[in-house]
Formats: sequence, structure tokens, C-alpha cells
Amino acid sequence: MELTRRPPARSLISLVPLVDVLLIMLVFFMVTSTYLDLDMIPAVERAEEEAAEAAAAPGAASGALLIRLAPDGRAWLRGRPLSEAELRAVLAERAAAGPAGEVSVLASPRAEVQALVALMDLAADTGLARLRVLRTEAGP
Amino acid sequence: MKLSRPPAREPMETIVAMIDVVFFLLVFFMLIGRMDANAPFEVVPPLGLSGIELPGGGVMVAVGADGQTALNGVEMGEDAIVAALAAMAAERDPPVRVNAHHAAALGHVLPLLGRLEDLGLGDVALVVTQTPP
Repeated sequence: MELTRRPPARSLISLVPLVDVLLIMLVFFMVTSTYLDLDMIPAVERAEEEAAEAAAAPGAASGALLIRLAPDGRAWLRGRPLSEAELRAVLAERAAAGPAGEVSVLASPRAEVQALVALMDLAADTGLARLRVLRTEAGP
Repeated sequence: MKLSRPPAREPMETIVAMIDVVFFLLVFFMLIGRMDANAPFEVVPPLGLSGIELPGGGVMVAVGADGQTALNGVEMGEDAIVAALAAMAAERDPPVRVNAHHAAALGHVLPLLGRLEDLGLGDVALVVTQTPP
């Protein structure tokens, strides 16, 4: 009688290293990712848009309304601070003027980014098409 | 002769279910997160409702609350950022996203935007969020 040994059972591929790698990748993505819903506001006017708007509304820049943004985030117009309702009314009036109703914003360097974005939001809400943020050049 | 059977091994707990769960979590976090808005310091973008959807990719410039700046997650000064972007702009016009902390002073952000505009970059945008912090 010939006795034969049974072939040894094939060992399964170990899945433990796979779990390790997956866990490390999971922690990596959890730590390094940003989970905010991010949007963007274009900050630079394209040259072709600028030329098209200048052709469409000649002399529009001369009628621009200047709003100052104070360090505390309040908007000032002609030397007095505006409440949000007054600011909304002013922006809506300029928006009704169409392409000629440009508004320029002179922001204090100490004002926060949030104040400027809130002003942009309000302008967009009233339908204002042209909002220009001025920057001051440092003196020599 | 009495032959005794070896004691039966206890079956190993199956880890297949755990792999499934971890894999689903991995895919979930990869889908809902984005990795292009990283900065070596805390940046909470301003709350803005009038923004348009931020597409992926592009160059990310971060501005912290105290005016510290970073390019693509690497902290560097404003001059170094402008020099790096000038070199990029010479080859192509990369989309540049300025991710500024909501409490950062405009005195740090507006001059930087102006310098980027002076480089001739045509696609520069300020990052905002609709999600309150």
C-alpha cells in the first residue's frame, strides 16, 4: 500500500498589510483635505472684458461712486457712515443706472477681507455689474 | 493506542468586513474633500454668497490672519511668491486662487492682488465659502 501525504494547504494571502495601508491612506486624506464648500470671486478684470466695457459705456468711469471701507468694516459715503439698508439703497440706485453705474471701493488697509467680501455680496445682490476695488500705492 | 485529535483552531475573525468599511471611508473622504486649499497655517476663507464654483487645480496662494503667505502649501514671503508666479506666467497663464483668512487685513491682500495683476495673470480669484465656520 502506498501512502501519500496530502499536499499542504495553500496559505491565504494575508490581508493585514492591506488594512494597514488603507488605514494610513484614510488618516492621510482625513487630515490633509479641506471639507469646506469653496467658491471664488474673480479678482482681476480680463483685458478683453475691460476693453469691451469701455467701448460699451464711454465715460462711465467718470461717474463712478466712491465708497470708503473703514477699518471697522463700515462703508462711508460722502463723509458719513452708511447703515446696511442705506448702502443697499445706494448700490441698487447705481445698479439701476446700468453699465454707467460703476462703484469704486477705497478700502482701508486695516479693514478685514470679510468686510470687503460682504460689500461684494451686497453689490451682487442688488445687481450691480461693476464694482472696482481701488488700491493705493505706497509713497517713496 | 489512543490517538487524540489536535484541538480545533478557532477561526480567525474575518477582516474582510473591516477592509470594506475602511475602503468605503477612504473613497468617501477622497470624494468630499479637496487637497488644493492647504496652507501651513490656519486659513478660514471669508463667508461669501456671490461666488461661483471653484474648479480644482491652479496655483493656491494662502494669506493668514497675520499676513503670513504661502504658495501651494509652502510658506514663503510675498516677494518669493510673486517671483515664482512670474516664472510660471512666462510659460503659461496659470489660474491663481488667493485663499485669504477672513480676518486678514486688506493691507496684506490687496497689494498682493495688485502685484499678481501687474504680472499679467488673467485668472486670479479670491476664495470664499458659503459654509459658516
